[in-house]
Amino acid sequence: MAKELHFESPSFGERIKGMLGVDFYRLFHTPLFYIFLAIAAVIPAMILGTSGMENPQTGEVAEKLYTNVWHIIAAEKPLYVVSSIAEYANMNMVFIFGGIMVSIFIGHDYKSGYVKQLFTTHAKKQDYMISKSLTSAFAMACMCITYLLGSVAAGLLTGLSMEVNAGSLIIAILSKTIMSLGWASLYTFLNIIFRRYFGISIVSSFFFGTGILIIGVAAILGNSSLLNVFLYGSSVYACLSANVVTLIVCIICSVAWAVIYNLAGTHILNKSDVY
Amino acid sequence: MNAIEIKDLSKSFRGMYAVDHLNMTVPQGAIYGFVGENGSGKSTTMKLICGHLVADSGEIKLFGRDYTDAGVRVRVGALIENAGCFPGSSVYQNLMMQAINLNLKNPDEEIKRVLEIVRMEDSANTKFKSCSLGMKQRIGIAMALLGEPALLILDEPINGLDTDGMRIMREILVDITKNYGCTVLISSHLLGELEKIATHYGIIRQGKMIMEMSAEEMDSRAQVFVSLKTKDMKGAIAVLRTKFTDVREEEEYIRVYDVDDAESIVEHLLKNGHVVSEIKKNKIGLEEYYIELMSANDKEAV
Repeated sequence: MAKELHFESPSFGERIKGMLGVDFYRLFHTPLFYIFLAIAAVIPAMILGTSGMENPQTGEVAEKLYTNVWHIIAAEKPLYVVSSIAEYANMNMVFIFGGIMVSIFIGHDYKSGYVKQLFTTHAKKQDYMISKSLTSAFAMACMCITYLLGSVAAGLLTGLSMEVNAGSLIIAILSKTIMSLGWASLYTFLNIIFRRYFGISIVSSFFFGTGILIIGVAAILGNSSLLNVFLYGSSVYACLSANVVTLIVCIICSVAWAVIYNLAGTHILNKSDVY
Repeated sequence: MNAIEIKDLSKSFRGMYAVDHLNMTVPQGAIYGFVGENGSGKSTTMKLICGHLVADSGEIKLFGRDYTDAGVRVRVGALIENAGCFPGSSVYQNLMMQAINLNLKNPDEEIKRVLEIVRMEDSANTKFKSCSLGMKQRIGIAMALLGEPALLILDEPINGLDTDGMRIMREILVDITKNYGCTVLISSHLLGELEKIATHYGIIRQGKMIMEMSAEEMDSRAQVFVSLKTKDMKGAIAVLRTKFTDVREEEEYIRVYDVDDAESIVEHLLKNGHVVSEIKKNKIGLEEYYIELMSANDKEAV
């Protein structure tokens, strides 16, 4: 005789708990996360350490990129139009490396075939989008922290000025960290679109992460605050003159884009073959 | 209640039907052998049931519920094409991820239980990439078994296994249906192996289900025949054809179909001066039945 079966539908919370549990377990048990944390710490240290160094062949001393340590964290003002590498290279670079990390993280789901297990047991595709976005946002937020630590350590070693408005600095760091959610959702979305093409996923994440599109628009519009509606715009807006308004703008922008990308990604997953 | 009920299911790729208005019924508790040639639509059907592919049209019900129901899907275990494990992670870590995914209360105990079922207790710490093909298939089964699934969907799980691996896999599948009340949908091109465990069959061709039957029905439909050898095969065939309607020379044997009485055959041959050197009663197996069905299908199409 056939066994009596009972099927209890898991709640949204239970489903997300399971999916997040897997993603965090994977994140902490694979070297990828730690490698990118190290990269995030090393990059600002390298930039600060090598700027102003003497060329051993020509004897020329390169001009120092930064005079203040905190300029490697954020620009003095929201500079959407970039005229030098020093105006561009700050904590926003985390979102470029972060994009590559997210692409590798999600790409391995597909490469290994593990995504089949996830989609077999999780009928609701939104679980996948939400979980990947949150896990990736966490990873990028951690990268922001190691980037900060690397910058401070290199700043102390190079003896650069540390003068800053502490309140604005804290808000800028906090705002950029919050932007991780929006960026992570964008990268998750891109990886859903290009899920069958690992290389294209990485290249597209890198392309959008550089903010080149917004920089291009800014070259036409100028330093317009309208650009704050975009992820790169808000990330730039979180500068060393940041205030509470900056924080609010970043929260709204990050959450709004996270919702948009999650809805769009879920729609694509529902309407197309996932593996 | 049926474990799987599919009505009018279709899926096409670039305008070509991979699954063409398919109907399928898998009773609860069955080991359903899903048979068909390469590209017939077996894997596509399985992927549709698991929600990996989106159907063009049709209905899939699992245990009377829509297949997108979260409650029923969490009780489905699948091994489609490969185990779907991270190669750099250990067997234990891969199983732990699935245990967390399913929100299992005692993941360690569950992992131990499934590793025992697939006889891999000592391989928990082995990296997945270091496992042999047979081990990988068994890990795939273990993954699918986590959380006491009500339905197991296994696509070619015995592919590439050696004789011993096939025997172990057979024993595992029979064990889980008997002891855990699990329903198994299994595809394989090794029909001889499938025949040893399946309680029901579904035969698919060009995306269409051409026949569904239980193992008992299959048994009753299967032709019986007597196969024998004599010194003068051609002479013996001529003699046998005077009394029996379906006599063929196949695989170095004379086969007399639809006859169960071997004695009358021997008697008839002896009367006509032919001594039988070897004789045995047979029944057409799944493989031969399948081949006959396919050729009959081909003739119909012509």
